[in-house]
Amino acid sequence: MGMITDGLPGFLEPLPGGSAVLTKVDQLVNWSRSNSLWPLTFGTSCCAIEMMMASGAARHDISRFGAEVVRASPRQADLIIIAGTIVKRMAPRLRTLYEQMAEPRYVIATGSCTIAGGPFIYHSYTTIRGADEIIPVDVYVPGCPPRPEALFYGLLTLQKMIREGESLRHPGERRRPVLSALPEGMTIEDIQAEMRDLLVADANVKMSEELAEGAHWAQELKDF
Amino acid sequence: MTAPVPSPMASASPNPAGVRITSLEERISGTGTGSSPLATQEYFVNMGPQHPSTHGVLRLVLRLDGETVREVVPVLGYIHRGIEKIGENGTYRQFVHLVDRMDYLSALANNWAVTMVIEKAANMETNERIQAIRTIVTELQRLHSHQLWWGVFGMDLGAFTPFFYGFRDHEILTDIFEKTIGARLTMNYIQPGGVMYDIHPDFVKDVKEFLAYFKPKLREYDALVTENVIIQQRLRGVGVLSAERAVAMGCTGPMLRASGVAHDLRKSEPYGLYGRVEFDVPVGTTGDCWDRYWVRMEEMRQSVRIVEQLIDNIPEGKHFLVKPAAKIKVPAGIHYSHLETARGILGVLLVSNGKDQPYRIHCRTPNFNNLWSITEMATGGRVADLVAILSSIDIVVPDIDR
Amino acid sequence: MQDSPPPGEDQAGEVGFAQALLAAAQAIEPATVLRDKSDRITLQVPAAAIAKICQWLRDDPALRFDLLYDHTAIDWPAENRFELVYLLAAVLDPQPRTRDLQVMVTTSVPRDNPVIDTVCGIWPIAEWQEREVYDMFGILYTNHPDLRRLFLEDDWEGFPLRKDYEDDFMLERPT
Ligand code: SF4
Repeated sequence: MGMITDGLPGFLEPLPGGSAVLTKVDQLVNWSRSNSLWPLTFGTSCCAIEMMMASGAARHDISRFGAEVVRASPRQADLIIIAGTIVKRMAPRLRTLYEQMAEPRYVIATGSCTIAGGPFIYHSYTTIRGADEIIPVDVYVPGCPPRPEALFYGLLTLQKMIREGESLRHPGERRRPVLSALPEGMTIEDIQAEMRDLLVADANVKMSEELAEGAHWAQELKDF
Repeated sequence: MTAPVPSPMASASPNPAGVRITSLEERISGTGTGSSPLATQEYFVNMGPQHPSTHGVLRLVLRLDGETVREVVPVLGYIHRGIEKIGENGTYRQFVHLVDRMDYLSALANNWAVTMVIEKAANMETNERIQAIRTIVTELQRLHSHQLWWGVFGMDLGAFTPFFYGFRDHEILTDIFEKTIGARLTMNYIQPGGVMYDIHPDFVKDVKEFLAYFKPKLREYDALVTENVIIQQRLRGVGVLSAERAVAMGCTGPMLRASGVAHDLRKSEPYGLYGRVEFDVPVGTTGDCWDRYWVRMEEMRQSVRIVEQLIDNIPEGKHFLVKPAAKIKVPAGIHYSHLETARGILGVLLVSNGKDQPYRIHCRTPNFNNLWSITEMATGGRVADLVAILSSIDIVVPDIDR
Repeated sequence: MQDSPPPGEDQAGEVGFAQALLAAAQAIEPATVLRDKSDRITLQVPAAAIAKICQWLRDDPALRFDLLYDHTAIDWPAENRFELVYLLAAVLDPQPRTRDLQVMVTTSVPRDNPVIDTVCGIWPIAEWQEREVYDMFGILYTNHPDLRRLFLEDDWEGFPLRKDYEDDFMLERPT
């Protein structure tokens, strides 16, 4: 894949209409990347429990967004969800894990600890004040700990970024990090509605509309 | 063996007595031939700090002889956040929320431990309602924590289903907490002088519904895991810890009780309303993984029993007796008090010099002291058993490192 | 209402027990006193006698303090000393007691020469607890089997819980 996508821009761009094709290829690649993120299990403290609840547990299910293949080995993962405080002793290990991950790799930092040091920012001799001092972060999810819904929202934000932001023309170019905080006037219900719409509309579960209406799971999604 | 490497610290600090300070490198250097008749080579393997079955960032350096564990060297500090130092530089109230982040699965019990030492030292008053609420929520959280442990325990042993079942019920209880407390994990609810909020009007109804729902579920847990032959065979006789060794290794809580010592602060030094309720202290016989599993399962039943006795008659009264902004001053001296969290005894040592900040505050955490026993339990066993043993200790790593 | 009410009739009993314990301790180490400003029975012993006193507290058939709950230190720079605290409990007792028997032992070592005997041989858990105290305060334990840092890297400079610890990394809370 890498060989093809690396060579593609150079090959397509000189051709007439090549740019348009390339854009389509971009879209296809980004769409598949954004919907098949493989997270690494990386949890150091409290936020990890909420991540567990979000990713594997009974009520919240991250697999609806295509990110359920949680791997224990960084070699098989392309998304790291940093859940928990990073201290000086852990920092080099985090860096190593990040470097061992497959390209293109994405980072979601959950919790105030990974944003700025959280409750341990003052008078702590070990706590790193923000994971972005160690590795580049794509999406920040605030909270102490963030609710599973907030983490999902962060994941959706990342997916959106991947879909819109990347191009084979500039491989490896980093996008600006975003804070996936709830904008003014936005509520959990809005997020849930957005997630529901997204799920129904998503090509992953695309069936003809009538079929979907009839299927019992579609109704459940609507009620969700 | 390499020659002892002089630690850089040795020169930086006065060490007139010539006390030898070793280093990790030195500790794990030097491999030799094993003592097995096959004379296989022994080697060191790192388990962690990033490993799914170490529940976070615990690192174990294992000396292995084939599949047999010859030695376990735990390496800590991958989540050492310096909570005690932060505590010295904040007020008493500010320290309460930090302990949520230590053992985040028993956040309420941690809050209570700190609250208890402050209240006792500063002679603050509480009332029956406060004590009843505290006892109920803390007991519910013991259940909450054991549910999660049960799910993760199953997963560590290779069965994924318990994880879903455990979390299913865990979430229901989380909702009840959220309704009253407003947080799902880091509660910061029990405070010196009371509890942060009064219970939600639905609290009693919700808890009763939950108990009615959960009691049959415990049967389900049994059918799924407890009666499973494979689980039993993997746990029985593995990681045996005798009563004498458990005490010598500083174990408390379910670990100690599984070894046959009926030591439970809820019985021996009743705090809150524990003196008024009836419950049994489940005690194991051999101290193997199976006993630790069984003790926790039984404790869930006892927690249900305790909550059932209290939930119907929460006395009337105020839920917070001091002004939230009021400064707390503690008379000078050493104060200590402790209670039983889901994992063992959490003690808080508070040294005050009469100001509104602690002079020194120290937490005796259950996990820190429980974990040490792994060096003994796992030695001589298999690597696969090590995972079962680690999971049966029920560790929460930030509670070890603080 | 108190969290754990001091048992009424035990109040007198506890004082009596403290005096008896003190007398017995003084038979072993005459310089022992009861520490004031402590909320429980606290024996204050000279640093040189710590191993002896601890051995006695564990082995005396009437006491049998077999569980070392906690061991930690307190830094008193003004008095140029570290105070070391040992908290003991008796749990393996054949006769069930109504109330757990606990006792605290404290001792002091000078700040410029913080050396003391280990109690690892008496309570194995002390091995970790002493390593933590070494890590945080720099107390040196003689005869400790494996004295090294516990939470911090081996090459860390300084001992963070000392009151005079300084670090470029640490942030002060803005007021
Ligand atoms: S942000 Fe809060 S919940 Fe998350 S790791 Fe930090 S302290 Fe824990």
